[in-house]
Amino acid sequence: MLDITLGQYYPGNSFIHRLDPRTKILTTLILIVAVFLANSAIGYAALCAMVLFIIAISGLPFMLVLKSVKPLLFIIVLTLVLHAVMGQGEHVLYQWKFIKVTEEGLQLGVQMAMRLILLLMISSILTFTTSPIVLTDGIEALLRPFRVIGVPAHELAMMMTIALRFIPTLMEETDRIIKAQTARGADFSGGNLLARAKNMLPILVPLFISAFRRADDLAIAMEARCYRGGEGRTRMHQLAYRSGDGLAFVFAFAMIGLLAFLRWGPKFI
Amino acid sequence: MEPVIETKGLKHVYIDSDNNPVTALDGIDLQIMSGEFVAVIGANGSGKSTLARHFNALLLPSEGSVNVHGLDTLDENNLWQIRQDTGMVFQNPDNQIVAAVVEEDVAFGPENIGVPTEELKQRVEDALRAVDMLDYREHAPHLLSGGQKQRVAIAGTLALGSRCIVLDEPTAMLDPKGRKEILSTVRKLNREQHITVVYITHFMTEAMQADRVIVMGDGRIKFQGTPRDVFSRVEELEKLGLEAPLAAKFAFELRKSGVKLPQGIITNEELAEALAGTFCA
Repeated sequence: MLDITLGQYYPGNSFIHRLDPRTKILTTLILIVAVFLANSAIGYAALCAMVLFIIAISGLPFMLVLKSVKPLLFIIVLTLVLHAVMGQGEHVLYQWKFIKVTEEGLQLGVQMAMRLILLLMISSILTFTTSPIVLTDGIEALLRPFRVIGVPAHELAMMMTIALRFIPTLMEETDRIIKAQTARGADFSGGNLLARAKNMLPILVPLFISAFRRADDLAIAMEARCYRGGEGRTRMHQLAYRSGDGLAFVFAFAMIGLLAFLRWGPKFI
Repeated sequence: MEPVIETKGLKHVYIDSDNNPVTALDGIDLQIMSGEFVAVIGANGSGKSTLARHFNALLLPSEGSVNVHGLDTLDENNLWQIRQDTGMVFQNPDNQIVAAVVEEDVAFGPENIGVPTEELKQRVEDALRAVDMLDYREHAPHLLSGGQKQRVAIAGTLALGSRCIVLDEPTAMLDPKGRKEILSTVRKLNREQHITVVYITHFMTEAMQADRVIVMGDGRIKFQGTPRDVFSRVEELEKLGLEAPLAAKFAFELRKSGVKLPQGIITNEELAEALAGTFCA
Protein backbone atom coordinates (compact mmCIF):
# COMPACT_ATOMS: atom_id res chain seq x y z
CA MET A 1 0.00 0.00 0.00
CA LEU A 2 2.86 2.28 0.91
CA ASP A 3 3.94 3.10 -2.62
CA ILE A 4 0.35 3.73 -3.68
CA THR A 5 -0.34 6.28 -0.95
CA LEU A 6 3.11 7.87 -1.11
CA GLY A 7 2.78 9.89 -4.26
CA GLN A 8 -0.93 10.51 -3.82
CA TYR A 9 -1.01 13.92 -2.22
CA TYR A 10 -2.86 16.40 -4.40
CA PRO A 11 -1.76 19.84 -3.18
CA GLY A 12 -4.47 22.36 -2.52
CA ASN A 13 -5.82 24.81 0.00
CA SER A 14 -9.44 23.76 0.34
CA PHE A 15 -11.46 23.44 3.54
CA ILE A 16 -10.68 19.72 3.58
CA HIS A 17 -6.96 20.29 2.98
CA ARG A 18 -6.77 22.70 5.89
CA LEU A 19 -8.41 20.39 8.41
CA ASP A 20 -6.25 19.06 11.21
CA PRO A 21 -4.87 15.62 10.22
CA ARG A 22 -6.30 14.11 13.41
CA THR A 23 -9.75 15.32 12.40
CA LYS A 24 -9.35 13.84 8.96
CA ILE A 25 -8.19 10.46 10.26
CA LEU A 26 -10.96 10.25 12.87
CA THR A 27 -13.76 11.44 10.61
CA THR A 28 -12.57 9.00 7.95
CA LEU A 29 -12.89 6.20 10.49
CA ILE A 30 -16.37 7.40 11.50
CA LEU A 31 -17.49 7.54 7.88
CA ILE A 32 -16.11 4.05 7.27
CA VAL A 33 -18.28 2.77 10.12
CA ALA A 34 -21.18 4.68 8.56
CA VAL A 35 -20.61 2.83 5.28
CA PHE A 36 -20.90 -0.49 7.11
CA LEU A 37 -24.19 0.59 8.66
CA ALA A 38 -25.83 1.23 5.31
CA ASN A 39 -28.31 -1.47 4.30
CA SER A 40 -30.87 0.32 2.17
CA ALA A 41 -30.95 2.10 -1.14
CA ILE A 42 -31.54 5.42 0.63
CA GLY A 43 -28.52 4.80 2.88
CA TYR A 44 -26.24 4.21 -0.10
CA ALA A 45 -27.70 7.17 -1.92
CA ALA A 46 -26.96 9.36 1.11
CA LEU A 47 -23.40 8.08 1.28
CA CYS A 48 -22.83 8.66 -2.44
CA ALA A 49 -24.19 12.18 -2.11
CA MET A 50 -21.86 12.75 0.83
CA VAL A 51 -18.78 11.53 -1.06
CA LEU A 52 -19.67 13.75 -4.01
CA PHE A 53 -20.17 16.69 -1.64
CA ILE A 54 -16.76 16.14 0.03
CA ILE A 55 -15.04 15.80 -3.35
CA ALA A 56 -16.72 19.02 -4.49
CA ILE A 57 -15.50 21.09 -1.52
CA SER A 58 -12.02 19.50 -1.54
CA GLY A 59 -11.42 20.67 -5.10
CA LEU A 60 -10.18 17.25 -6.19
CA PRO A 61 -10.96 16.17 -9.75
CA PHE A 62 -13.71 13.55 -9.54
CA MET A 63 -11.95 11.20 -11.95
CA LEU A 64 -8.83 11.23 -9.76
CA VAL A 65 -10.77 9.97 -6.76
CA LEU A 66 -12.64 7.43 -8.89
CA LYS A 67 -9.33 6.06 -10.15
CA SER A 68 -8.45 5.01 -6.60
CA VAL A 69 -10.98 2.22 -7.06
CA LYS A 70 -8.96 0.75 -9.93
CA PRO A 71 -6.46 -1.39 -7.95
CA LEU A 72 -9.34 -3.30 -6.40
CA LEU A 73 -11.62 -3.31 -9.46
CA PHE A 74 -11.10 -7.03 -10.02
CA ILE A 75 -12.11 -7.88 -6.45
CA ILE A 76 -15.15 -5.63 -6.67
CA VAL A 77 -16.35 -7.28 -9.88
CA LEU A 78 -15.63 -10.72 -8.42
CA THR A 79 -17.68 -9.88 -5.30
CA LEU A 80 -20.56 -8.70 -7.43
CA VAL A 81 -20.55 -11.77 -9.68
CA LEU A 82 -20.12 -14.28 -6.87
CA HIS A 83 -22.93 -12.81 -4.83
CA ALA A 84 -25.20 -12.66 -7.83
CA VAL A 85 -24.53 -16.23 -8.87
CA MET A 86 -24.26 -17.94 -5.50
CA GLY A 87 -26.87 -15.95 -3.60
CA GLN A 88 -29.90 -17.68 -2.14
CA GLY A 89 -33.37 -16.29 -2.63
CA GLU A 90 -36.91 -16.78 -3.84
CA HIS A 91 -37.10 -14.47 -6.82
CA VAL A 92 -35.16 -16.13 -9.58
CA LEU A 93 -34.32 -13.72 -12.36
CA TYR A 94 -32.38 -16.08 -14.57
CA GLN A 95 -31.51 -19.72 -14.47
CA TRP A 96 -29.17 -21.84 -16.51
CA LYS A 97 -28.72 -25.40 -15.30
CA PHE A 98 -27.59 -25.15 -11.68
CA ILE A 99 -26.60 -21.46 -11.93
CA LYS A 100 -29.34 -19.11 -10.93
CA VAL A 101 -29.33 -15.40 -10.39
CA THR A 102 -31.73 -14.30 -7.68
CA GLU A 103 -32.93 -10.80 -6.93
CA GLU A 104 -31.74 -11.07 -3.34
CA GLY A 105 -28.27 -12.27 -4.38
CA LEU A 106 -27.92 -9.51 -6.94
CA GLN A 107 -28.98 -6.92 -4.38
CA LEU A 108 -26.44 -8.16 -1.88
CA GLY A 109 -23.73 -8.15 -4.53
CA VAL A 110 -24.46 -4.58 -5.53
CA GLN A 111 -24.42 -3.58 -1.86
CA MET A 112 -21.05 -5.21 -1.28
CA ALA A 113 -19.58 -3.61 -4.38
CA MET A 114 -20.95 -0.21 -3.39
CA ARG A 115 -19.47 -0.65 0.07
CA LEU A 116 -15.99 -1.37 -1.31
CA ILE A 117 -16.15 1.50 -3.77
CA LEU A 118 -17.26 3.95 -1.07
CA LEU A 119 -14.58 2.74 1.36
CA LEU A 120 -11.85 3.19 -1.23
CA MET A 121 -13.08 6.63 -2.24
CA ILE A 122 -13.43 7.90 1.34
CA SER A 123 -10.01 6.72 2.44
CA SER A 124 -8.35 7.99 -0.71
CA ILE A 125 -9.82 11.46 -0.10
CA LEU A 126 -7.84 11.39 3.16
CA THR A 127 -4.54 10.62 1.45
CA PHE A 128 -5.26 12.96 -1.48
CA THR A 129 -5.79 15.94 0.80
CA THR A 130 -3.14 15.24 3.46
CA SER A 131 0.59 15.19 2.77
CA PRO A 132 2.32 12.08 4.14
CA ILE A 133 4.36 14.22 6.54
CA VAL A 134 1.28 15.80 8.08
CA LEU A 135 -0.43 12.42 8.12
CA THR A 136 2.49 11.03 10.15
CA ASP A 137 2.14 13.88 12.67
CA GLY A 138 -1.56 13.10 12.97
CA ILE A 139 -0.99 9.39 13.52
CA GLU A 140 1.63 10.11 16.16
CA ALA A 141 -0.68 12.50 18.02
CA LEU A 142 -3.57 10.03 17.91
CA LEU A 143 -1.46 7.11 19.11
CA ARG A 144 0.18 9.09 21.94
CA PRO A 145 -2.50 8.27 24.55
CA PHE A 146 -1.90 4.56 23.88
CA ARG A 147 1.72 4.83 24.96
CA VAL A 148 0.72 3.72 28.46
CA ILE A 149 -0.26 0.31 27.10
CA GLY A 150 3.01 0.07 25.20
CA VAL A 151 2.21 1.43 21.74
CA PRO A 152 5.48 2.95 20.48
CA ALA A 153 3.81 6.06 19.03
CA HIS A 154 6.90 8.22 18.67
CA GLU A 155 9.03 5.38 17.31
CA LEU A 156 6.44 4.51 14.66
CA ALA A 157 6.17 8.13 13.58
CA MET A 158 9.97 8.48 13.47
CA MET A 159 10.23 5.38 11.30
CA MET A 160 7.61 6.75 8.92
CA THR A 161 9.36 10.11 8.74
CA ILE A 162 12.70 8.48 7.96
CA ALA A 163 11.07 6.22 5.39
CA LEU A 164 9.49 9.24 3.69
CA ARG A 165 12.84 11.02 3.76
CA PHE A 166 14.84 8.11 2.34
CA ILE A 167 12.50 6.58 -0.24
CA PRO A 168 13.47 9.14 -2.93
CA THR A 169 17.15 8.73 -2.04
CA LEU A 170 16.95 4.96 -2.31
CA MET A 171 15.03 5.21 -5.58
CA GLU A 172 17.84 7.30 -7.01
CA GLU A 173 20.29 4.73 -5.75
CA THR A 174 18.32 1.88 -7.35
CA ASP A 175 18.41 3.72 -10.62
CA ARG A 176 22.17 4.12 -10.36
CA ILE A 177 22.68 0.45 -9.52
CA ILE A 178 20.50 -0.66 -12.45
CA LYS A 179 22.57 1.49 -14.80
CA ALA A 180 25.82 0.20 -13.30
CA GLN A 181 24.73 -3.43 -13.64
CA THR A 182 23.42 -2.86 -17.15
CA ALA A 183 26.80 -1.43 -18.06
CA ARG A 184 28.32 -4.68 -16.83
CA GLY A 185 26.06 -6.64 -19.13
CA ALA A 186 23.20 -7.55 -16.79
CA ASP A 187 19.86 -8.17 -18.49
CA PHE A 188 16.75 -7.24 -16.52
CA SER A 189 14.11 -7.81 -19.16
CA GLY A 190 12.65 -11.05 -20.39
CA GLY A 191 12.44 -14.51 -18.94
CA ASN A 192 9.72 -16.02 -16.82
CA LEU A 193 8.77 -14.85 -13.35
CA LEU A 194 11.48 -16.89 -11.63
CA ALA A 195 14.19 -15.67 -14.00
CA ARG A 196 13.08 -12.09 -13.53
CA ALA A 197 13.12 -12.42 -9.75
CA LYS A 198 16.61 -13.85 -10.02
CA ASN A 199 17.61 -10.89 -12.18
CA MET A 200 16.70 -8.55 -9.34
CA LEU A 201 19.40 -9.98 -7.06
CA PRO A 202 22.28 -7.91 -8.47
CA ILE A 203 20.16 -4.82 -7.70
CA LEU A 204 18.90 -5.83 -4.28
CA VAL A 205 22.20 -6.89 -2.75
CA PRO A 206 24.05 -3.58 -3.31
CA LEU A 207 20.89 -1.65 -2.41
CA PHE A 208 20.63 -3.43 0.93
CA ILE A 209 24.29 -2.97 1.74
CA SER A 210 24.06 0.73 0.99
CA ALA A 211 20.83 1.09 2.97
CA PHE A 212 22.48 -0.45 6.02
CA ARG A 213 25.45 1.88 5.65
CA ARG A 214 23.11 4.85 5.41
CA ALA A 215 21.22 3.67 8.48
CA ASP A 216 24.46 3.50 10.42
CA ASP A 217 25.50 7.00 9.34
CA LEU A 218 22.06 8.38 10.12
CA ALA A 219 22.04 6.83 13.59
CA ILE A 220 25.35 8.52 14.40
CA ALA A 221 24.16 11.85 13.01
CA MET A 222 20.95 11.61 15.04
CA GLU A 223 22.88 10.85 18.19
CA ALA A 224 25.19 13.78 17.55
CA ARG A 225 22.08 15.96 17.45
CA CYS A 226 20.94 14.87 20.91
CA TYR A 227 18.35 12.32 19.80
CA ARG A 228 17.29 10.13 22.71
CA GLY A 229 13.83 8.90 21.82
CA GLY A 230 10.49 10.61 22.21
CA GLU A 231 10.90 11.50 25.88
CA GLY A 232 10.94 15.25 26.55
CA ARG A 233 10.73 16.12 22.87
CA THR A 234 8.94 19.24 21.65
CA ARG A 235 7.60 19.87 18.17
CA MET A 236 8.01 22.91 15.98
CA HIS A 237 4.65 22.46 14.30
CA GLN A 238 2.06 21.77 16.91
CA LEU A 239 -1.28 20.47 15.76
CA ALA A 240 -4.22 22.63 16.73
CA TYR A 241 -7.94 22.09 16.24
CA ARG A 242 -9.80 25.01 14.67
CA SER A 243 -13.48 25.74 14.24
CA GLY A 244 -13.54 23.92 10.89
CA ASP A 245 -12.54 20.74 12.65
CA GLY A 246 -15.58 20.92 14.90
CA LEU A 247 -17.75 21.32 11.83
CA ALA A 248 -16.19 18.24 10.23
CA PHE A 249 -16.87 16.18 13.35
CA VAL A 250 -20.48 17.38 13.49
CA PHE A 251 -20.88 16.41 9.84
CA ALA A 252 -19.36 12.96 10.37
CA PHE A 253 -21.50 12.24 13.42
CA ALA A 254 -24.60 13.49 11.61
CA MET A 255 -23.81 11.06 8.78
CA ILE A 256 -23.35 8.07 11.08
CA GLY A 257 -26.51 9.09 12.97
CA LEU A 258 -28.49 9.24 9.75
CA LEU A 259 -27.33 5.79 8.68
CA ALA A 260 -28.00 4.30 12.10
CA PHE A 261 -31.49 5.77 11.94
CA LEU A 262 -32.05 4.33 8.46
CA ARG A 263 -30.92 0.93 9.67
CA TRP A 264 -32.60 0.63 13.06
CA GLY A 265 -35.12 3.43 13.13
CA PRO A 266 -38.79 3.19 12.14
CA LYS A 267 -39.24 2.07 8.55
CA PHE A 268 -41.02 4.36 6.13
CA ILE A 269 -40.70 2.27 3.03
CA MET B 1 41.28 33.00 26.36
CA GLU B 2 39.66 29.79 27.48
CA PRO B 3 39.98 26.61 25.42
CA VAL B 4 36.70 25.31 23.95
CA ILE B 5 38.13 21.86 23.44
CA GLU B 6 41.07 20.47 25.36
CA THR B 7 42.52 16.98 25.06
CA LYS B 8 45.19 15.59 27.36
CA GLY B 9 47.09 12.43 26.46
CA LEU B 10 44.09 11.27 24.42
CA LYS B 11 44.41 7.65 23.30
CA HIS B 12 41.82 5.68 21.37
CA VAL B 13 42.14 1.94 20.91
CA TYR B 14 39.55 -0.20 19.18
CA ILE B 15 39.29 -3.87 18.26
CA ASP B 16 39.18 -4.48 14.51
CA SER B 17 37.29 -7.25 12.71
CA ASP B 18 40.25 -9.64 13.12
CA ASN B 19 40.21 -9.10 16.89
CA ASN B 20 43.42 -7.12 16.93
CA PRO B 21 43.65 -3.93 18.98
CA VAL B 22 44.29 -0.88 16.79
CA THR B 23 45.57 2.39 18.21
CA ALA B 24 43.72 5.05 16.22
CA LEU B 25 44.83 7.96 18.40
CA ASP B 26 48.09 7.83 20.28
CA GLY B 27 48.54 10.59 22.80
CA ILE B 28 46.90 13.75 21.49
CA ASP B 29 47.47 16.96 23.45
CA LEU B 30 45.48 19.74 21.90
CA GLN B 31 43.77 22.99 22.77
CA ILE B 32 41.24 24.70 20.55
CA MET B 33 40.49 28.26 21.60
CA SER B 34 37.16 30.03 21.48
CA GLY B 35 36.54 31.69 18.11
CA GLU B 36 39.37 29.86 16.42
CA PHE B 37 39.18 28.34 12.92
CA VAL B 38 41.28 25.20 13.03
CA ALA B 39 41.85 22.91 10.06
CA VAL B 40 42.90 19.31 10.62
CA ILE B 41 44.62 17.57 7.73
CA GLY B 42 46.06 14.11 7.39
CA ALA B 43 46.14 11.12 5.06
CA ASN B 44 43.47 8.41 5.19
CA GLY B 45 43.72 6.45 8.42
CA SER B 46 45.69 9.19 10.18
CA GLY B 47 43.03 9.38 12.89
CA LYS B 48 41.48 12.74 12.01
CA SER B 49 37.88 11.51 11.87
CA THR B 50 38.35 9.54 15.09
CA LEU B 51 39.63 12.70 16.74
CA ALA B 52 36.60 14.66 15.53
CA ARG B 53 34.19 12.14 17.03
CA HIS B 54 35.82 12.60 20.42
CA PHE B 55 34.87 16.28 20.39
CA ASN B 56 31.18 15.39 20.38
CA ALA B 57 31.42 12.42 22.78
CA LEU B 58 30.43 10.05 19.97
CA LEU B 59 33.63 8.21 20.87
CA LEU B 60 35.16 8.13 24.32
CA PRO B 61 38.87 8.10 25.16
CA SER B 62 40.52 4.77 26.02
CA GLU B 63 43.13 6.76 27.92
CA GLY B 64 43.56 10.44 28.70
CA SER B 65 40.75 12.96 28.65
CA VAL B 66 38.70 15.27 26.42
CA ASN B 67 37.13 18.42 27.86
CA VAL B 68 34.52 20.35 25.89
CA HIS B 69 33.63 23.73 27.37
CA GLY B 70 35.21 22.44 30.58
CA LEU B 71 33.04 19.30 30.67
CA ASP B 72 34.69 15.87 30.70
CA THR B 73 33.30 13.64 27.92
CA LEU B 74 33.81 10.55 30.12
CA ASP B 75 31.14 11.77 32.55
CA GLU B 76 27.83 10.54 31.19
CA ASN B 77 25.92 13.40 32.85
CA ASN B 78 27.65 15.84 30.54
CA LEU B 79 26.74 14.00 27.34
CA TRP B 80 23.76 16.05 26.15
CA GLN B 81 25.28 19.38 27.13
CA ILE B 82 28.44 18.53 25.17
CA ARG B 83 26.44 17.52 22.11
CA GLN B 84 24.56 20.81 22.25
CA ASP B 85 27.73 22.85 22.62
CA THR B 86 29.59 21.10 19.83
CA GLY B 87 27.70 20.43 16.63
CA MET B 88 28.87 17.87 14.09
CA VAL B 89 28.58 17.93 10.33
CA PHE B 90 29.45 14.69 8.55
CA GLN B 91 30.80 13.78 5.16
CA ASN B 92 27.76 12.33 3.40
CA PRO B 93 25.13 15.04 2.86
CA ASP B 94 22.34 12.50 2.32
CA ASN B 95 22.88 10.42 5.40
CA GLN B 96 22.56 13.10 8.06
CA ILE B 97 19.27 14.70 7.10
CA VAL B 98 16.47 13.14 9.12
CA ALA B 99 13.25 14.88 8.12
CA ALA B 100 11.49 15.13 4.77
CA VAL B 101 11.25 18.96 4.92
CA VAL B 102 14.23 21.31 5.32
CA GLU B 103 12.88 23.32 8.27
CA GLU B 104 11.75 20.18 10.08
CA ASP B 105 15.25 18.81 9.78
CA VAL B 106 16.81 21.97 11.20
CA ALA B 107 14.28 21.73 14.03
CA PHE B 108 15.24 18.12 14.77
CA GLY B 109 18.09 18.97 17.18
CA PRO B 110 16.28 21.59 19.28
CA GLU B 111 13.16 19.38 19.33
CA ASN B 112 15.27 16.64 20.90
CA ILE B 113 16.37 18.86 23.76
CA GLY B 114 12.85 20.13 24.35
CA VAL B 115 13.03 23.76 23.20
CA PRO B 116 9.58 25.39 23.50
CA THR B 117 7.70 25.87 20.21
CA GLU B 118 7.92 29.65 19.90
CA GLU B 119 11.65 29.81 20.57
CA LEU B 120 12.15 26.82 18.29
CA LYS B 121 10.60 28.59 15.32
CA GLN B 122 12.85 31.59 15.91
CA ARG B 123 15.94 29.39 16.19
CA VAL B 124 15.14 27.55 12.97
CA GLU B 125 14.59 30.79 11.12
CA ASP B 126 17.80 32.35 12.43
CA ALA B 127 19.81 29.23 11.64
CA LEU B 128 18.47 28.99 8.08
CA ARG B 129 19.15 32.68 7.51
CA ALA B 130 22.71 32.32 8.80
CA VAL B 131 23.49 29.71 6.13
CA ASP B 132 21.46 31.56 3.49
CA MET B 133 18.87 28.78 3.06
CA LEU B 134 15.76 30.55 4.30
CA ASP B 135 14.19 30.47 0.84
CA TYR B 136 14.33 26.67 0.86
CA ARG B 137 12.68 26.12 4.23
CA GLU B 138 9.79 24.12 2.83
CA HIS B 139 11.73 22.16 0.23
CA ALA B 140 12.29 18.42 0.26
CA PRO B 141 15.95 17.69 1.06
CA HIS B 142 16.44 15.22 -1.80
CA LEU B 143 15.81 18.01 -4.30
CA LEU B 144 18.68 20.15 -2.97
CA SER B 145 22.26 20.17 -4.25
CA GLY B 146 25.02 18.64 -2.14
CA GLY B 147 26.25 22.05 -1.01
CA GLN B 148 22.74 23.07 0.00
CA LYS B 149 22.25 19.86 1.96
CA GLN B 150 25.47 20.46 3.87
CA ARG B 151 24.37 24.02 4.63
CA VAL B 152 21.12 22.59 6.03
CA ALA B 153 23.24 20.29 8.20
CA ILE B 154 25.22 23.31 9.43
CA ALA B 155 21.95 25.12 10.19
CA GLY B 156 20.91 22.06 12.21
CA THR B 157 23.90 22.50 14.52
CA LEU B 158 23.30 26.26 14.82
CA ALA B 159 19.66 25.70 15.79
CA LEU B 160 20.88 23.37 18.52
CA GLY B 161 22.74 26.35 19.94
CA SER B 162 26.23 25.09 19.18
CA ARG B 163 29.00 27.65 19.60
CA CYS B 164 31.52 25.22 18.16
CA ILE B 165 31.07 23.24 14.95
CA VAL B 166 33.16 20.21 14.03
CA LEU B 167 32.99 19.42 10.32
CA ASP B 168 34.28 16.00 9.28
CA GLU B 169 35.29 16.29 5.61
CA PRO B 170 32.09 18.18 4.75
CA THR B 171 33.16 18.81 1.16
CA ALA B 172 34.55 15.38 0.24
CA MET B 173 31.43 14.45 -1.74
CA LEU B 174 30.67 17.88 -3.22
CA ASP B 175 31.39 19.50 -6.56
CA PRO B 176 33.68 22.59 -6.68
CA LYS B 177 30.71 24.96 -6.41
CA GLY B 178 29.38 23.19 -3.33
CA ARG B 179 32.86 23.20 -1.79
CA LYS B 180 33.08 26.96 -2.20
CA GLU B 181 29.61 27.43 -0.67
CA ILE B 182 30.47 25.43 2.43
CA LEU B 183 33.83 27.05 2.99
CA SER B 184 32.47 30.57 2.65
CA THR B 185 29.51 29.75 4.93
CA VAL B 186 31.85 28.37 7.59
CA ARG B 187 34.20 31.37 7.31
CA LYS B 188 31.29 33.76 7.59
CA LEU B 189 29.97 32.05 10.73
CA ASN B 190 33.46 32.08 12.19
CA ARG B 191 34.06 35.75 11.49
CA GLU B 192 30.61 37.22 12.10
CA GLN B 193 29.24 35.03 14.88
CA HIS B 194 32.61 34.02 16.38
CA ILE B 195 31.74 30.37 16.14
CA THR B 196 34.65 28.06 16.79
CA VAL B 197 35.29 25.85 13.77
CA VAL B 198 37.17 22.56 13.58
CA TYR B 199 37.41 21.75 9.90
CA ILE B 200 38.68 18.33 8.88
CA THR B 201 39.61 18.12 5.25
CA HIS B 202 41.97 16.67 2.74
CA PHE B 203 41.80 19.69 0.47
CA MET B 204 44.88 21.80 1.19
CA THR B 205 43.37 24.87 -0.44
CA GLU B 206 40.55 24.75 2.14
CA ALA B 207 42.96 24.32 5.04
CA MET B 208 44.79 27.45 3.87
CA GLN B 209 41.82 29.55 4.96
CA ALA B 210 42.16 28.49 8.60
CA ASP B 211 43.85 30.32 11.48
CA ARG B 212 45.75 27.20 12.42
CA VAL B 213 46.47 23.93 10.66
CA ILE B 214 47.01 20.68 12.53
CA VAL B 215 48.75 17.92 10.61
CA MET B 216 48.00 14.37 11.70
CA GLY B 217 49.73 11.09 10.93
CA ASP B 218 49.62 7.64 12.57
CA GLY B 219 47.26 8.83 15.29
CA ARG B 220 49.54 11.65 16.40
CA ILE B 221 49.80 15.37 15.80
CA LYS B 222 52.89 15.60 13.59
CA PHE B 223 53.15 19.36 13.56
CA GLN B 224 50.93 22.41 13.56
CA GLY B 225 51.02 26.14 12.98
CA THR B 226 49.71 28.85 10.71
CA PRO B 227 48.92 27.74 7.16
CA ARG B 228 52.09 29.52 6.02
CA ASP B 229 54.27 27.59 8.46
CA VAL B 230 52.67 24.26 7.72
CA PHE B 231 52.50 24.44 3.95
CA SER B 232 56.09 25.65 3.62
CA ARG B 233 57.21 22.30 5.00
CA VAL B 234 56.78 20.62 1.66
CA GLU B 235 59.03 17.62 2.28
CA GLU B 236 57.55 16.75 5.67
CA LEU B 237 54.03 16.94 4.26
CA GLU B 238 54.97 14.60 1.43
CA LYS B 239 56.40 12.08 3.88
CA LEU B 240 52.95 11.98 5.53
CA GLY B 241 51.26 11.31 2.20
CA LEU B 242 49.99 14.88 1.86
CA GLU B 243 50.51 17.25 -0.98
CA ALA B 244 51.44 20.87 -0.33
CA PRO B 245 49.67 23.53 -2.42
CA LEU B 246 51.08 23.76 -5.94
CA ALA B 247 52.65 27.20 -5.41
CA ALA B 248 54.48 26.00 -2.29
CA LYS B 249 55.74 22.91 -4.09
CA PHE B 250 56.82 24.92 -7.10
CA ALA B 251 58.63 27.46 -4.95
CA PHE B 252 60.34 24.63 -3.11
CA GLU B 253 61.57 23.05 -6.35
CA LEU B 254 62.74 26.41 -7.73
CA ARG B 255 64.66 27.10 -4.54
CA LYS B 256 66.26 23.67 -4.79
CA SER B 257 67.39 24.46 -8.34
CA GLY B 258 69.05 27.62 -7.11
CA VAL B 259 66.47 30.31 -7.81
CA LYS B 260 66.58 32.83 -4.97
CA LEU B 261 63.06 32.95 -3.50
CA PRO B 262 61.95 33.97 -0.02
CA GLN B 263 60.58 31.34 2.39
CA GLY B 264 56.88 30.92 3.13
CA ILE B 265 55.34 31.14 -0.34
CA ILE B 266 52.05 29.25 -0.38
CA THR B 267 49.67 31.02 -2.78
CA ASN B 268 49.89 31.49 -6.52
CA GLU B 269 49.89 35.29 -6.11
CA GLU B 270 52.79 35.22 -3.69
CA LEU B 271 54.75 33.00 -6.05
CA ALA B 272 54.05 35.25 -9.02
CA GLU B 273 55.15 38.32 -7.06
CA ALA B 274 58.34 36.65 -5.82
CA LEU B 275 59.21 35.44 -9.32
CA ALA B 276 58.57 38.88 -10.76
CA GLY B 277 60.84 40.32 -8.08
CA THR B 278 63.61 37.88 -8.94
CA PHE B 279 63.48 37.95 -12.72
CA CYS B 280 62.29 41.42 -13.59
CA ALA B 281 64.56 43.29 -11.21
